[in-house]
Amino acid sequence: METLLEIKDLKVSFDTEEGKVEALDGVNLKVKEGEFHALIGETGCGKTVTGLTILGLLDNNAKIEKGQVLYKGIDLLKLNEKQLQQQIRGKEIAMIFQDPSTSLDPIFTIKEQMFEALDNNSDLTEEKKLNLIIEELKKVKLPDVEELLEKYPHQLSGGMKQRVMIAMMLSCRPSLLIADEPTTALDVSTQAQFLKVLEDLRKETKITAIYITHNLAVVSEICDTVSVMYAGRIVETASLREIFKNPQHPYTYKLLHSVLGVETKIEELQEIPGSVPRLINPPSGCRFHPRCEEADEICKIEVPRMVEISSEHFVACHKRVIE
Amino acid sequence: MNKELIKVEMLRKYYHSSKGLLKAVDSVSFKIYRGETFGLVGESGCGKSTLIRTVLRLLKPSDGKIVFDGIDITHLHEKELKSFRKRMGIVFQDPHSSLNPRMTVFDILSRPLKIHKLAKKHDELMLKIVEILKLMGLQAEHMIRFPHELSGGQKQRVAIARALMVEPEILFLDEPTSALDVSVQAKILKLLDSVKKQKNLTYFYISHDINLIRVVSDRIAVMYLGKIVEIGDKETIFHKPLHPYTNGLFKSVPVPDPDVKIDKVPLEGEVPSPVNPPEGCRFHPRCEFAKDICIKEEPVLKEMEDGRMVACHLYQ
Repeated sequence: METLLEIKDLKVSFDTEEGKVEALDGVNLKVKEGEFHALIGETGCGKTVTGLTILGLLDNNAKIEKGQVLYKGIDLLKLNEKQLQQQIRGKEIAMIFQDPSTSLDPIFTIKEQMFEALDNNSDLTEEKKLNLIIEELKKVKLPDVEELLEKYPHQLSGGMKQRVMIAMMLSCRPSLLIADEPTTALDVSTQAQFLKVLEDLRKETKITAIYITHNLAVVSEICDTVSVMYAGRIVETASLREIFKNPQHPYTYKLLHSVLGVETKIEELQEIPGSVPRLINPPSGCRFHPRCEEADEICKIEVPRMVEISSEHFVACHKRVIE
Repeated sequence: MNKELIKVEMLRKYYHSSKGLLKAVDSVSFKIYRGETFGLVGESGCGKSTLIRTVLRLLKPSDGKIVFDGIDITHLHEKELKSFRKRMGIVFQDPHSSLNPRMTVFDILSRPLKIHKLAKKHDELMLKIVEILKLMGLQAEHMIRFPHELSGGQKQRVAIARALMVEPEILFLDEPTSALDVSVQAKILKLLDSVKKQKNLTYFYISHDINLIRVVSDRIAVMYLGKIVEIGDKETIFHKPLHPYTNGLFKSVPVPDPDVKIDKVPLEGEVPSPVNPPEGCRFHPRCEFAKDICIKEEPVLKEMEDGRMVACHLYQ
């Protein structure tokens, strides 16, 4: 499979009142065409910042210190705002966010908003646009589409709004979807419906996705490859099966064992000592070392490099590298 | 001592809305026994938060009966309620909004003691607060901090400590970990578990997270659109859910295992509005087993051979 998006050594910081926050510190990520690539980690690990950087949507206090974001061979970081808006956003790469009630504008109907997305990205006639919109809304299994078009966001449930977002995104035919916690605001039954819609779309459109979430169970439903982030770095990347059956990084292991499953007993839940470090003056060396039971001297001094330990399984941990 | 700590009978909480009568909680009955962990699970809007707030008498019930330790508290006045408030604690979902940002941890924790006149002197307060902070895995120095200086997990520990200050018999836990990361959630659940054992507490968990309810509870109740549809022993219900909603709900939960996938959508459609809910069984428009009777007649909870209760015409 071809690489669709490659992030190379990306470093992003934020200027805040308290000092410089090193939000991303040397992130490397390869997303292959057609795959669903999960970016998982806890609050503040840099998942969303990674997504926003790809689309050039960072706030003004953010600074891209170094790195490249290569999409189909083009470095997106070199494009200006106009180029990003005309050529990339929506058309090539689309993003959906966690809370669909804030992504849709409350004072416009669904129809108006769907048209707006298309107006930026297509030269079709009005009639063809409307047909396309209806087709996309049906694709995400929304009922009574004609009626729905005239509705306002507050008249829809959370699950329906999130499906409208997907339909809007699809109408522009992007190659890459960045989904940032798309089901976190939804109930489990709605989440199951939404995941099914995504899965069907995947079969039909061969779309590639970066799926940002903290929910490992959702990842196991829909993703092929998983990258685990911790404190601004990717610590492990592997196939879904490898991550779940053969996790290598101590953080990945602990994370997997703190998830509540069917057979979980409270006594068996894994605890990670301490808490996620703040990224103003983050820990030296491996950023996980203060919380890691296996850490020794080298972990405090040297940043571990990402090493391939078996085919397509990469891990950044000093204790997993056989010299 | 009464084995039944809480008994709720035909409890109703209705609201008048512009569109009609909103039946948030409709004829709900259940019991909570001393020492157990009772888990109430349901999706957003099913009425679970309204239910616990009504049981706690933070909301005025529209009808029905709430009995606490053998005493009917349904119609008690605020003054008479005070002694019961002390015996029932609550921990809310979001510690960012449940802790007053302008109070230090010391002030937050000393308030319940002052209100219930359990300690007056500064030394006494100090002693109790240091003790509870230690129990919560926090340090004495945390008492001079403000909530914004604490992490999400630490804030939730303070919220639990506040509920425990007056030595309640039961804790109502309303989504106590849903605002937290998984690794922090694991710590809080373990903490709550050990505190329960140490202090012989009773827990009433409310959550939309089915796995959470499964992990913590002894008995569970499943709520749909203001009604309890199934209630009983946790193992019995999880082993074989009988109500079609319970079954669909459990099947919707993704399992953190790449070999186990949700095969088809377990629950189609959306939860209807609690204003003018469907006639008969409220679940019938989404139920694949719905018969004529389900449209006409509302099913009531009926006890099965294994001891659980189900409200479904399939089992009447």
